[in-house]
Formats: sequence, C-alpha cells, structure tokens
Amino acid sequence: MVRKLIGKFCVFLIITGVFLTALSPLFIYKIAHRANLIQGLYDSDDGYDVLLIGSSHMNGGLDPNVLWKKYGIASYNYATGGQTLETSYYVLKEALKKHGDPDVVAVDAFYAACSAPYGESALLSNALDNLKFSANKAEAIFQCVSPRDWVSFFFPVLKYHFRWSTLDPKDYSFFDTASFYYTKGFDSGLSRWGKSDVSYADTRNKTAIPPKSLRYLQKFVDLSKQYGFSLVFLNFPADYSDYNKMDGWVDDCEALFNSVADFAAQRGVPFLDYCDRMDEIGLDFANDMNNASHLNLWGACKLSADFGAYLKRNYSLEDRRSDPAYAEWNLDYRRSQAHSVLG
Amino acid sequence: MSFVSLGFLIFFPVAAGVYFRLPQRFRNVWLLAASYFFLMTANPAYALLLAAVTAVTWTGGLLIAREQERGGPGVCRRKKRWVALSLVLAFGILFVFKYLNFFCSLYADLLAALGMPAALVKFDLLLPLGISFYTFQAATYVVDVYRGDVKPEKNVGKYALFVSFFPQLLSGPIEESKNMLPQFDEVHRFDYDRMRHGLLRMVWGYFEKMVVADRLGTLVAAVYDAPATHHGAEVLTATLFFAFQIYCDFGGYSNIAVGAAEVLGFRLTDNFCRPYFSKSIREFWRRWHISLGRWFRDYLYIPLGGSRCSKPRHCLNLFVVFAVCGLWHGAALNFVVWGALHGLYQVAGVLLKPVRRSAARAAGLRENSLPGRFLRAAFTFVLVDFAWIFFRARTFGDAAVLIGNLFRWDPAVLRNGALFSLGLNAPEFWAALAGIAVVLAVDLAGRGRDLRAAILSRGTVFRWAVYLTAAMAVLIFGAYGSIHGAQQFIYSQF
Repeated sequence: MVRKLIGKFCVFLIITGVFLTALSPLFIYKIAHRANLIQGLYDSDDGYDVLLIGSSHMNGGLDPNVLWKKYGIASYNYATGGQTLETSYYVLKEALKKHGDPDVVAVDAFYAACSAPYGESALLSNALDNLKFSANKAEAIFQCVSPRDWVSFFFPVLKYHFRWSTLDPKDYSFFDTASFYYTKGFDSGLSRWGKSDVSYADTRNKTAIPPKSLRYLQKFVDLSKQYGFSLVFLNFPADYSDYNKMDGWVDDCEALFNSVADFAAQRGVPFLDYCDRMDEIGLDFANDMNNASHLNLWGACKLSADFGAYLKRNYSLEDRRSDPAYAEWNLDYRRSQAHSVLG
Repeated sequence: MSFVSLGFLIFFPVAAGVYFRLPQRFRNVWLLAASYFFLMTANPAYALLLAAVTAVTWTGGLLIAREQERGGPGVCRRKKRWVALSLVLAFGILFVFKYLNFFCSLYADLLAALGMPAALVKFDLLLPLGISFYTFQAATYVVDVYRGDVKPEKNVGKYALFVSFFPQLLSGPIEESKNMLPQFDEVHRFDYDRMRHGLLRMVWGYFEKMVVADRLGTLVAAVYDAPATHHGAEVLTATLFFAFQIYCDFGGYSNIAVGAAEVLGFRLTDNFCRPYFSKSIREFWRRWHISLGRWFRDYLYIPLGGSRCSKPRHCLNLFVVFAVCGLWHGAALNFVVWGALHGLYQVAGVLLKPVRRSAARAAGLRENSLPGRFLRAAFTFVLVDFAWIFFRARTFGDAAVLIGNLFRWDPAVLRNGALFSLGLNAPEFWAALAGIAVVLAVDLAGRGRDLRAAILSRGTVFRWAVYLTAAMAVLIFGAYGSIHGAQQFIYSQF
C-alpha cells in the first residue's frame, strides 16, 4: 500500500513538473538578457572567436560590435546583470556546448569580490532562467542558488506565477529574440555619471580571495585547459565605495583585485584591470561611466577598442570582416549603439 | 510554522510517515515532539507558555479528581477551589500575554476621562501563537473533569499532546477533551482511502486560503489600511470581500487542520457549515467557528443561565457571551464592539421575533418559502458583513470612518476603473469574484452529500484531473512567493 502511494505520488510530481516546465517560458520576463542568451547559446549558428562572460560590468562594458568594426573579431557577450562568478562558469560551459572552439574567453572577475555564499536571487534569474534544462543547468542551480530557491529556479513559473494577469501577446505567442542579435549580447547605458572615482587608490594591499571565488577562478583555468582556449580575466572601472561597505562583499575591492592579479599571474593567465588603466585608455570617469559602477556607451567604446587591440597583439585572431559567412555582421554593426559613436 | 509554507509541506509528510512507521507505544511521543517542534519553529519561547498552560490544567485535573476520591463533606467546594485556581492560572497567562496592555490602556483612558491623566504603562510582551485556542481547549479539560464528563488523564505526555496536537494548535478547532483524549489511545493504521480524503480536504483548504482569501485580502487591505481615502463602492466592495476573505482564510485553515488530522487517523470537529447561507444570526453562530460557539455555549452561556431564565436575563446572557467572544478574538475595542454587535443582533432577534413573524404574515411571505428563506439569508448576511467592518478595521476610529464613508457614493468609481486600482487589476478582480463563486458553489454542492467521497469514487482520469487542476490552480493563481510575501492566517493572531 505504501509503495503504491509513493509510486502515485511520484507520478503526480512528475506530471506536475511537466506542466510547470511547459508553462515556465510563458511566465519568464521577456527581457534583453533572455533574448541575448537564447541567441548566443542556442539559436545562432555563427562561430565566435572570443566569448565574453561576466556580470553587468561586462554586459555594458565590452561591445562585440566595436571588436568587429575595428578588428574584425567575431565575439559574443554572454554577460547578464548580477551574474556571479560561479554562474558565469556555468554560462560559459553552456556556451561551449555549441560554440566549443573559441580562441579566447574573457571573464569579468568583478564578482570575485563577492563573499556572500549566493548571489542575489532576482539577478541570478537573468542568466539561469534562460538556460535550457540540462545537467549543467541543474548543477548551476545547486551551486549558485540558495537551497530555499532551488525549486523556483527549476520551475521559474513558481517565481513568476503572479504575472498571469499581466501577460501580454509577447508572452503568449512571439518573443523575437533574433531581433536582439545585432547587439551580440551587449547593452550599455547612455547616462553620464558626472562624478569622479572617489574609491580608487593605487594600493599594493592584498586581501584573501573568498573561498568560493577562488574555487571558481580555478575552475575557469581548468576549463581553459580542457577546451584549449586562452583565458583572460578582466576587471572594469568602478567606484568601489559602496561595495566596500556592503555586506557580502570584501572590505577592500582594490586589494582583492591585487590578489586576483597574483592568482592569475601564478597560473599564466593575463589579468587586465582597467580600474588601474583608466588614464592609459583615455577614460574619463565622470563622462564615460553610466553610473558609479558601469561604463556608458562612450566608455565601453574606449575600453572595447583597447581590449580589441590587446587581443590582436597577443592572439592570432582572424579578421572576419570580409568572410561571407559574417556578411550580416556588418549590417548588424550599422544598427548597433557603437555605430552612433564610431560611425 | 505556517500551514502555508514550504517547511510545512516537508514537515507534514515526515511527521505522518514516521508516525505510521513507529510502534504504537512511541506514536504519541512522536506526535508530541512534532507538535512542539511545529510551534517552536515560530519562536522557541512559545513552548514555555504552552507547557505552563499544560502543566497548570493537567495538575488541576488531578487535584480535582483527588478531591473526588477523598469525598466527604465539602468535596464540591474543594473541587470548585481547584477548578477556580486552575482556570485563574491558565486564563491568567492568557490575560497577561494578550490583554494586559489593553486593560492598562483602558485604565489610562479612564483616568484621563476622570481628569486624572496618568502615564500609560505598556509591557513589551510577545503574543504567543495560538494561545487563545489552546488555553480554551485546556480549560475544557478542567471543567469536564470537574463535571465528571472525563476521567483525569494520568499520562502527562498524552495530556500534553491533547493540548498541543499540531494540526489544531494554532487556530483550532477547539476540541473537547472527551472527544479528543480517547483518540490518542486508538491504534491508527495507515488507511489509503482515509489519507486520500484527508489530502483532498487539505488541497481544498489551500485553494480557499491561497487562491481566494489572500487575493481578496489584497483589496481589503488597500481600503481598510487607508480608510479616510476610500468611499462608497470601494468600501462596500472591500467589506463584501472581507466577508469572504475571512471565511476562506479561516475555513481554509480549518480544512487543512481537519484534513491533516484525518490523514493521521484523528477526527476533528468541522468548524464551518455554509455560514453565509444562515437565515438568522443564531443559525450563523451554529455554522461559523462551530467549535468556539460550542465552547461559549457549554462553558459560559449555559452556566450563566442560558435561555432558561427570565427574558431580560436571557438577553443579558446573550450580550455578555458575545461581548466576551469579541474580546477573545482580540484585545481591542473594535473586537469588543464586533462581539457586542452580534450580541445585540441576538437580543433583537429574541425581542423582535413576534414582530418579524407578524410582518412576514402581513406581507404574505411564508418563512420557509424560497423567497422567505432567501430574504432572511440575505438580511443575515448584511448584518454579519456590517459587523465585520469592526472586526477588520485597525481601530474603532477607523471603523467609524469606514462606515461614514460607506454612504458617500461616487457612481463614477464603478465606471472609471478605480476599483481595479486597489491592489487587484481587472483580471485579478474578476478572478477574486470567480473564487468566491467557486467557494459558494462548492458549499451549495456539498449540501447533504460528501463531495470528497463523490470525487474519489469516480474514475482515475476524473480524479487525476481534479488533483492536477487543484494543484495547478494553487501554484499559478495562489498568493505566495516574493511578491505576496508570507501570508499569515487571520486567526493565527488570536
């Protein structure tokens, strides 16, 4: 009798799970992050020589259209807002399923400074809700999300069920993710912060990298060896004043990134800390930042141009601007934000 | 731990599974541990008060029985002394933690009114969950032992389980000891059909609470938390919604509690029986919160003399019982007024009965005809719903403002979509109404038949369609998650 009960209960759970899985895409917010990941991870057949992975700093800081325009580098930006280091690792693994042969993977190391056990649940949804179900997604949820939220990350409809009364035609029928593809995942703000960076200090202090960050930095290194791509760690310009005071973050981000630099150097991985190189690339914090911690479009163009030059100098990346397979990329560039700046 | 929490969805199957796996002699111990754990997840300190009430009433029962055994002259007086002491101590705990600040405030107001203003003394006391319920239940035991209706329970563990049994601990039903204590001696074997009945009842409870009550509560809160800014149709809608919010909230809780107990093999009292179809206030109280109504009838109304006395005394008894009932619900003037209003309704019902019959005869309306019953039910509902204003309002002053605003009509509200800006957009608003319709339809369909048995006797496809529809309705349309936050049951604060 008990066995029969357990069997029926399992069948009930499975059927309910199937319904919830089927309903989840209807309820997930149809935002740019979703379109970008669906295109970059699953729908696009383009080959990418450079994959850009990370948080909102990367999402609005490194523009594939600039890399394309200036250097003919085919790249895609897989970064989403609030994407922690460990989440980035699983997003990269997901990207490598279809785009498994990149020459370079650039990883935004900003979340290495996060000492909280888990990222902010609402922000983690930007990335994790948009991965197709797989063993990789299951592992990502178990590793990146607080256990109390596991169920709602497996079945996102449980997070967004309240939207039933505000679903619109975009939810019901058609979310044209392809119409976002021209951005190649990049999305930058157009504000000008207007303040200088008050937190920056050219310090040699160092602080311990939080254990989880250390583990995932190493996992990126291991993955690069497994897949044979070159790994580059990046850090973007930001005013750390608020982060240094926030719970769940290290007390001194500048010192933390000095430690990350040591970690990278010990493993032969380049670490480009643009916080230390703002003057070098001609970045004016007040005018080139969208807010205290994100570049605006003009800042992103400057940084992207510099990073593209770095890639060209250090790696044998093919210039694909005349490759017929990438003919659409020139059209995409003309629609891009960068076109309005670079012409 | 709330019934509406992931914790309970894990706790309950574990508690039930282990219960049926254990040898009989360990089962009550397990349920007792589970019940205390259930309470202590909210606040470990609550267990101390529960244990104190348990100890006082259990000891009281033993002392009363000892006096009974000793016999001799004055036995009745000595028994009464122990009853009084036990009840004073048990209700004293309730008084201190629930009512002390209220009476201090009343005292300060009284002094101020007499021209002798004094500083208000306010104690920082926690209000333990379920204290009104378990204190009343424990009190029934003491009185039942005194009356000789039950034998004193020598096993303190079993008695402690009677007071703390987790399905009914937070909000009842308030069980009589003579109904509940013998059930802890029964051997409950796992019964598949009984479990299905219990689970189905629980699912219905979750639907009532999460899909209907909490949705209605959004609009109710929007109006009742800002009484000065809402008028006419807004107040009327919120007040109508509250009638069904509290019904579905408390009815939902009761269904989950009774269903959970049923899964374990225990039979709890039904707390509701289609209350909004009542044709008089008297009938309403036989159908609404039945276990509390029975408690007041057996342990206060009848000892006061009930109806077997002069008409003035009968009316006074009714008024006192309902005023105390109001106070039981909450330590605030608006609850007392709510109870007193029900008392007045009852008194008016007694005094105006001949007038009502004459009027019906004059109108050519037979009381038991369909129009007659409909009119009486509608009138009863209006009276009950009017009284709910005092119950739901945050203060007596708020209730007065709401009643004043109820009659300030602005017909434009019905046309300009203002009703859809009170926390529920148009689809949510219509879903709320649909929820009320479903609850009333199920109430009607359940008259004179066991709906659960009817469902469970149907074929597999039908049954599974019901299960899955219910589950999906709760999961999609239920109020839970980050947007809604944790919704407490209204009665868990009493």
